[in-house]
Amino acid sequence: MASLTTNSPGGAARSAGETSAVWRERVGRWIFYLPLAFMVVFFAVPMALTVVFSFFERTMFWMEPAFTLFSYNNFFFSARLENFLTSMKYSALAVVICFIFGFPIAVFIRRSIPQVAQHRVILLFILPFMVSEIIRVFALRPVLQRNGLVNTTLMDWGLIDEPITSLLYTHTGVVIGEVLSFLPFIVFAGFLAMEAVPKFIFEVCDDLGVGHRRRFTDVILPLAAPGIFAGAVFIFVNGLGVALLPNILGGPGAVNAGLIATQAITALDFPLAMAVSAIMMATLMGLLYIGHRLFDLTKILTPLN
Amino acid sequence: MSETTIATDKAPAVEVKNLSKHYGPVKALRNVDLTIAAGEYFVLLGPSGGGKTTLLRTIGGFHKPTEGQVLLHGRDMSHLPPDKRPTTMVFQAYALFPHMTVLQNVSYGLKVAGIDRKQAEEKAAAMMDVVGLSGFAERKPHELSGGQQQRVQLARALVLDRDILLLDEPLAALDAQLRKDMCLELKHLQEKVGITFIHVTHNQEEAMTVADRIALVADGNLVEHGKARDIYRAPVKKFTASFVGENNMLSGRVSDVNGVSCTVDVAGSQLVVQKRGQQVAHGQPVDLSIRSELVQLSRANGSNNAGDGHSILGSYDEAVYLGLTTSHLVRLPNGVEMTSRTISDAVDDLPTPGDPVRLHWQPEAIRLHTS
Repeated sequence: MASLTTNSPGGAARSAGETSAVWRERVGRWIFYLPLAFMVVFFAVPMALTVVFSFFERTMFWMEPAFTLFSYNNFFFSARLENFLTSMKYSALAVVICFIFGFPIAVFIRRSIPQVAQHRVILLFILPFMVSEIIRVFALRPVLQRNGLVNTTLMDWGLIDEPITSLLYTHTGVVIGEVLSFLPFIVFAGFLAMEAVPKFIFEVCDDLGVGHRRRFTDVILPLAAPGIFAGAVFIFVNGLGVALLPNILGGPGAVNAGLIATQAITALDFPLAMAVSAIMMATLMGLLYIGHRLFDLTKILTPLN
Repeated sequence: MSETTIATDKAPAVEVKNLSKHYGPVKALRNVDLTIAAGEYFVLLGPSGGGKTTLLRTIGGFHKPTEGQVLLHGRDMSHLPPDKRPTTMVFQAYALFPHMTVLQNVSYGLKVAGIDRKQAEEKAAAMMDVVGLSGFAERKPHELSGGQQQRVQLARALVLDRDILLLDEPLAALDAQLRKDMCLELKHLQEKVGITFIHVTHNQEEAMTVADRIALVADGNLVEHGKARDIYRAPVKKFTASFVGENNMLSGRVSDVNGVSCTVDVAGSQLVVQKRGQQVAHGQPVDLSIRSELVQLSRANGSNNAGDGHSILGSYDEAVYLGLTTSHLVRLPNGVEMTSRTISDAVDDLPTPGDPVRLHWQPEAIRLHTS
C-alpha cells in the first residue's frame, strides 16, 4: 500500500517531465495563433478604426468621437469624387496596358525558354525593385519632361516639331509610371497562371489545327484567368492607392485616391483621409467579390491537379 | 489520273526516307529509312533519349526534318503542319484541356474544323463509346483516373477521322497492372478501327503485346526492324539482343569458319554458331547471344572438357528466386556472368556456390552478331 501511495523521487521527476511536455504542447498549439494575433492587432483593428474614424468630427488638429457623414459628404460632393473616378479610369487603363505588354511576356517565358532557365528570367523582373521606388519614379522626369530624352530624341529624328508636353504632370505621365512600376506583377501573375496550362496542350492545339486567336481565347485565357485577375486587381488597387506616382508624375487633376488622402492628412483633415481609405477598401472588396464569383479565386493556389 | 489514284492506294501509310534531325551538335536522328504499311500496329522501341520520340514527332509534323523526307500515303508532307497531315497524336499525359468536360475535350477538334456543335457532339459521344468512356461526358479531366484520361485523348484523336494514330509513350504514366490492361485494349481498339497505329515505348513487354512489327531505335539510328516474334527470337544486331528479352551476351573471336557455321572462342571454349548470312573472317571479334531460358544448367562431371561446341563451363554463383522463374548465375573463367533461367522448383538439388557447372543449349539457340 505504502509503496503505491508514496511518490517516489522517480515519480516526481516523471510528473515534472509530463507537465513540461503538456506545457510544450499547449504553447505549441498557441504559437500558431501568434500570426493571427499580429494580423488582428496591426491589420484588422486599424482597418476597422479607419472606418470608425471616418465618421468622427474634425477638430483643429485632430478629431473627436461623433457620428457624422460630413467627411463622406465632403468627398462625394466635391471635385474629389470626380478625381477619384478619373483615377479609377486611368488605373484601369494601366491594368490593360500592363496586361497587353506583360501577359505575352509571361506566355513567352513559359513556352519558349527552357524550363531550367524560366525562374532565372522571372528573377530579372525583380531587379527594378532593388532601386527605391521614389528614385525609380523620379528618374522618369528627365525622360518624359519637355526637353527630356523622349522629346529630344523624337525631335532629332524629325518626327515631331515641338516637344510633347502632355507626357509629364498629366494622367499620361501617371499611367506611364504605373505601367513601369507594376508591369512585373502581371508577369509574375501570368507566369504562375500559366502553370495551370498543361505541358502538351500547345502541341494538342497544333494537332487539332487551333489557330492563334482561338488558342488564346479558348485555352490560355480561361486557364490563366484567375491568376490574371489577381494580378490585375493588385495593379488596379495600387494605381488607385499609391500616392507617390501622381505626386511625382501627376499634376492638376491628375491625382489618385492615395494622393487625395495624403493631401487631406496634410490639411489635418483626418476624418476625410479615413473616409477616402474606407471608400478604397470598399471598392477593393467589391472587386474581389466580383472576381471570386467569376473565376473562383481559390483556384490561384491550386493550379494543377 | 487513274494511275496516280492507284499509286496512292498502294502506297504505304508512312515512308521515311533518309531522315535526319539535328539539334545543334546533337544528332537526334541519323539517316533513318522506314516503311510502315497501312493498317499496321507498328512500335518504335528503344531506350530513353534514343530518338524514337523525335522520329514519331517528325512523322506527326511537330518537328521539321533537318534532312530527308516524310511521305504519308505516298505524298511528301515533310513540311506540312500537324493539322494538315493524316496523322494525329496521343501524348504521354497532361494533354487534356482541364477547363473542359470530357465531351468538350473530345468534340473540340471537330468544332475547330468547323463542324456544327450538335453534329460534333454526337460524333464525339459515339467515339467515347468506342473507347469505353460512355457515362463520363460531363466529368472534368481532374475527376478521371490516369487510364480514363488517356482514353479521352484516344477519343479526341480518333474522332478526327485521320488514319494514322501516333502514340507517344501513352501508357508511361500508368501503374503496371493498368498498363497491361490498356495494352490489350489498345491492340483490340486498333483491330476495331483498322487504321495505322504507331506507338512509341521503352517497355518491351508493352511493345510485344501490341505490335505487329517493331523497330528498334537507339542513339538516333534505326537499329533493326521486323515482326515482333522475329525481333525476340532471332535478332540480327547485338543491340537488339541486349535490349529485347533476357539474353546472355558473350564476346569472343572467330577461330574457324566453315560453310554455314563458324566456331567462336569464348573464354577458352569453342562454341559453334550459325552464320545466318553474316560475313565473318578468321580472328574477327564477334558477339554471341543466347536467351537465358534456353540455357540449361548441369553439374560438371568427370572430364572437365565440354568440347561439343554447345556448352561452356563455369562456377556456380547464386540462385535468384523470381517467383515463376529462378535465375541461376554462373561465372565463366573470363569473369563474365551468364544466367540460366528455369521454372522455379524444377531443379531440387541446387549446386552450392563455387561448384563447377556446365551450361549447355540446343545448337540453334545461340546467335551470332557481327554488328
